[in-house]
Amino acid sequence: MPALHELQRAVYRSLVARDDDATAYIRADSVAAAERLCIYRNTVYVTLTNALRLSFPAVQRLVGAEFFDASAQNFIEGELPHGAYLDDYGAGFPDFLARFSPAASVPYLSDVARLEWAVSRGLHAPDATPLDLAALGAVGEGDHGRVRFVPHPSVSLLQASYPVDAIWRAVLEQNDAALGAIDLGDTPVWLLIQRLPTGIDVRRLSEPAWRCTSALCAGQPLEEAVEPASGIDVSALLAEHLTAGRFIAFNIKEPIAAAQALASVP
Amino acid sequence: MTVRSAEWMKRNSIPAQAGIGLRFQHHQAVAEARPDVAWLEVHTENYMGGGSPLAYLDAIRRDYPIALHGVGLSLGSAEGLDLGHLERIRQVVEHFGPGLVSEHLSWSVVGGVYLADLLPLPMTEEALTVVCRHVEQTQAYLKRQILIENPSSYLQYRHATIPEWEFIAAVAARTGCGILCDVNNIYVSSSNHGWDPSVYLAALPADAIGEIHLAGHTVRQLETGHTLRIDDHSARVAAEVWMLYEEALARFGARPTLIEWDNNIPPLAVLLDEAAHAAALLQTTKRADRARAA
Repeated sequence: MPALHELQRAVYRSLVARDDDATAYIRADSVAAAERLCIYRNTVYVTLTNALRLSFPAVQRLVGAEFFDASAQNFIEGELPHGAYLDDYGAGFPDFLARFSPAASVPYLSDVARLEWAVSRGLHAPDATPLDLAALGAVGEGDHGRVRFVPHPSVSLLQASYPVDAIWRAVLEQNDAALGAIDLGDTPVWLLIQRLPTGIDVRRLSEPAWRCTSALCAGQPLEEAVEPASGIDVSALLAEHLTAGRFIAFNIKEPIAAAQALASVP
Repeated sequence: MTVRSAEWMKRNSIPAQAGIGLRFQHHQAVAEARPDVAWLEVHTENYMGGGSPLAYLDAIRRDYPIALHGVGLSLGSAEGLDLGHLERIRQVVEHFGPGLVSEHLSWSVVGGVYLADLLPLPMTEEALTVVCRHVEQTQAYLKRQILIENPSSYLQYRHATIPEWEFIAAVAARTGCGILCDVNNIYVSSSNHGWDPSVYLAALPADAIGEIHLAGHTVRQLETGHTLRIDDHSARVAAEVWMLYEEALARFGARPTLIEWDNNIPPLAVLLDEAAHAAALLQTTKRADRARAA
């Protein structure tokens, strides 16, 4: 008689590695043990494939449902979720697509997937109240350079070698004319992704503005974050970030961990 | 910690009436039409993030009592509960102040990996000890009673020693948890394993039944000629399941009853129609109980 942990490991191996360890523990009568296990294996794969489908709709449209399902099956076999909160599942899918040789003919696919993952993270990020501008206004001028910001949890930054924002939008809008007009040899894109009350916002920044914003979101003090931004209007950029609610807290002394700052948000 | 008034608690308790499982597809329809249904239940895992799902449910819950139904806590995992997941559940419970909180008598997690299905437990003394420990841990962590739901299953283990109905009754007796009696699951499992669903119902303690689930299932014809019933929540409640539901009501009395639908989700009106059928049977039960009392 197997101990519970032994049995659960055997079922895991049967469902994922398709060995028949668990069949010995299952009552086989009119229906074979393997066939009974197959019902569970099917549900696991269908559920996880659906979770990926929800997070990567443009990837699915680009490659078609059949190819997507086959890719998902491959990915799932190598990387099962580590928890039951499935909105968190799929972080590794863009890298998987980059390695997945059948997808090599679509060189921008993994970058589109990276954008979709950032969009998905943005959509599911916790709610947080944007920074109170009055509090920021109270900071003395001498301290401005030492201000460190905490980004809104829905904000992320992405750099891609292809115009993935245009591809993503055209694919989801099923706009073939727009898709056909995209020049893949176009310059790299520097993107900011954020959830707004109206929905997800994906916008292009200039490279210096993107580098400065990345530094700010990583918690670097203002005076250091502006270094890569020579030649752009940093105060205009900062004003845009603040107006759009991209920061939720600030600190003028020590670096603060985003989690600590979040805990103090009502 | 959110402060709740007694009046608020009363308003949010789940009545012994018919409700429906709310899925994303119907967020907008429910928010706009405010259909005449007594309560709503959602999957806990769908509200662990922020943004639009949370905003919709915040708005909807002002007009409806809400129950939370978890699919991922894996109460039967030998390796212990995923404390990160338990904490996420606590946060959702704290946010919505649900009238009922439920989980399944099953397991999904092994080696830190989540197998996305409600996998069957061996009905053994060891599994009973593990489940009871985890139910107690969960109730202590959430500071409230939870309900556990009987699963539908497609296999039984050779070394099982306890009938499933005795197992679930024992969990309730030992931990003080309630039972979410899924009548469709009883029907599906009984059909798949050759059990008598009436024996199953009769073994459950009426006092512990806090909620009833109803859903549709499909019949799968296997190549060998045998059939298995698959609990896919993709159809109307089967006629045989409605009959078993009447038997459950006669045995337990009127209980909060939920219509679940998760695949090929139809327009809201279809769910409301199913709920209306359950509501009519609940009314009949209440009238019969009143007549008996008088």
